[in-house]
Amino acid sequence: VIISIRTRLIAAFLGVSLLVGCLSLVAGVQLIYRAVLNEAQTRITQDLNAAREIYEERTRSTLLGLTIAGEEASLRAAIQRGDASLVSARVSEVAAATGLDFAGVLKADGSVLYRTGSADRATVNPAAAFALQAREPVEGTVVLDRQTLAAEGPGLAERARIPLLPTPRAAPRNGTEEDAGMALAAAVPLALGDTTVGVLYGGILLNRNQDIVDRIRDTVFRHETWGGQLVGSATIFLGDLRIATNVPSGSGERAIGTRVSAEVKGRVLDTGGVWTDRAFVVNTWYVTAYEPITDISGNRVGILYVGVLDAKYADIRARTVPVFVLITLAGIAAAIALGGLVSWRILAPVQRLVAASRRVSSGDLDPPIGPASRGEIGLLQRTFQEMLGSLRERARLHEQEKESEREKSERQASVGRLAAGIAHEINNPLTGVLTFTHMLLKRPDLDADARSDLQTIARSTERVRSIVKGLLDFARQTRLEPEPTDMNDLIRDTLALAQNPAGVKGILFCFDPAEGLPVRRMDRSQMQSVILNVLINAIDATPPGGHIDVSTTVGTMTTAAGSRRGIEAHVADTGCGIAPENLERIFDPFFTTKEPGEGTGLGLSVSLGIVERHGGTIRVHSRPGHGSHFVIWLPLDDGGGAA
Amino acid sequence: VRILVVDDDPVVRSSCRRVLEAEGFAVMCAASAADAVDATLDQGFGLAIVDIKMPEVDGLALMRMLKAGRRPVPVIAMSGYPTAETRASSLRGGASFFLPKPFTPEELVSALRAVVPAETDGVREE
Repeated sequence: VIISIRTRLIAAFLGVSLLVGCLSLVAGVQLIYRAVLNEAQTRITQDLNAAREIYEERTRSTLLGLTIAGEEASLRAAIQRGDASLVSARVSEVAAATGLDFAGVLKADGSVLYRTGSADRATVNPAAAFALQAREPVEGTVVLDRQTLAAEGPGLAERARIPLLPTPRAAPRNGTEEDAGMALAAAVPLALGDTTVGVLYGGILLNRNQDIVDRIRDTVFRHETWGGQLVGSATIFLGDLRIATNVPSGSGERAIGTRVSAEVKGRVLDTGGVWTDRAFVVNTWYVTAYEPITDISGNRVGILYVGVLDAKYADIRARTVPVFVLITLAGIAAAIALGGLVSWRILAPVQRLVAASRRVSSGDLDPPIGPASRGEIGLLQRTFQEMLGSLRERARLHEQEKESEREKSERQASVGRLAAGIAHEINNPLTGVLTFTHMLLKRPDLDADARSDLQTIARSTERVRSIVKGLLDFARQTRLEPEPTDMNDLIRDTLALAQNPAGVKGILFCFDPAEGLPVRRMDRSQMQSVILNVLINAIDATPPGGHIDVSTTVGTMTTAAGSRRGIEAHVADTGCGIAPENLERIFDPFFTTKEPGEGTGLGLSVSLGIVERHGGTIRVHSRPGHGSHFVIWLPLDDGGGAA
Repeated sequence: VRILVVDDDPVVRSSCRRVLEAEGFAVMCAASAADAVDATLDQGFGLAIVDIKMPEVDGLALMRMLKAGRRPVPVIAMSGYPTAETRASSLRGGASFFLPKPFTPEELVSALRAVVPAETDGVREE
């Protein structure tokens, strides 16, 4: 029981600590990951702004170069004149100096004066057309179709052509390649006086141009690596297609030709929103930011992307888990230790009480119960002590009682031995006195005085006889030794004993035993003496040839205390009966009605004493001349009880 | 009828002899169980009156011996220690009657008459 309480206590502590530990593990890891992710998203948003700045800076620098070149009056004049050779020399120079992929001049009427590519006049660069129409400088993103690209520069169309690669999670798309190009372009209208003479324009093709994305990566993420891989990455999309990127594909090359996931495309390209979240990029997870790129006319034509490997943050989570597991384990260890300690603190006094109880039950009524505790245990200890106190008191009283009982029975035994000795010694000479007094009284020659004296001697001797007998009866009270006894069997045995004295008087016993008489504990030998006494008295009282009825019943006796069930033994004789004035005295120790020659029964007082010590009683009904009826009644619900 | 009285106390022996002889019985006395056994070997007795408490061999043992003989002798047991136990053990031992001491001549005679019916003694004087 004790071990189970300790185990249960520890188990309860363990359960709580496990629950709390697991909850904090899940919640803590999740919270920390969220916080880190939020931080990463905040950072990636800033990174996106920086990338946007780098992207736009490139168009501004293009515009600046063109503006400076357009300030030359000679160039303007040459344009006005339509001097293609001078313009071509100067524009080629400018294009080479500012690193442009293409450049050209549009005349005021919108026709191409010169372009760095072919001399094709059929297509017009949209940036230049926009600037001519607006009569102000233009810078920004433009999408150039295949013909325009081919016209703008040698090899540009070929550079722009990108085959589509199959990409998981991308939106479905028709065709096998992209042949349009996205470019950063600027255009400056040139005027002489109030007259617009033309537009100087130029730009760089973004397709397969890694310059900007690598600058973004190197500027913003500063070569930070994770697991041998650069953490940061940037991409420029044309539509949903990667045209310039440093996100590696599965084979380690730049993932040009792969496409953005359908989710991001829907959010950024279709609705113009900004995406900052985890996203599946090419083939792994990144914390990403995407925003749309709009061309100079305000159409969404592409996406600018920056991202950081999600593995870096996932690793933070992975590193957090063991910490929380460790904390949980520590909590479990603490729970076991605490449970053990608490249960020890609680149970140690209880165990001492248990040990004390064992000692009490083995007889030690003053066992040590350990130092006093507080609270309920203390109360238990005090109650236990009080209980021990009353047990000790009871034991002391019991001991006293036993002692006095022992003294009493010793005294009784010695009185009994003395009385027996006296009786035996006195009874023999008394026989002589009685015999010879009576023999003398039979002599016919006695004078009246002598006869009277002898009669006095005879009566006095009878008195001595009854006194000795009473003394002997009184001394014979001994301790009961009860055992389960069937009253019917006991009576049968006793009738057999009385058969001789009854037989010589020709008296018959009629025994009517009750069926199913309960067995009851009683002192067999003493109870047999009682029955034998009553039987002998009945034999003495019954004239020769008479009969004695003996029976048993289960009878109820009603007293002031209520009704009680009991065993009854009835002995009814057909003798002389008892005079009413003697009925109350027959149980006196020194009373006898026996006249000489009338019988030799022993004292009823002893019989009554034995029956009363069994919790029972003896009743007698008698009418002179009609016999006597003795009833020995023993209760069934007595302490001795049925066995 | 010849009657054997066995008691270690001479007063009791003489009392019994006095009463029984006055009643017309032939009486033989023995002071111990051993004497009593010797006596029964020689002569046949119609009745024995035996004291229960005697030194050496007691009355109960003597009763068993008398009962074991070829002609079992009826016995009246007497005792100066007349308790229920003594009476029960006497009756259990085969006594036909238990006579507590002290007794009057009338009690002795009525005990005798109870055991030996008057018609059979033939020598009773009235």
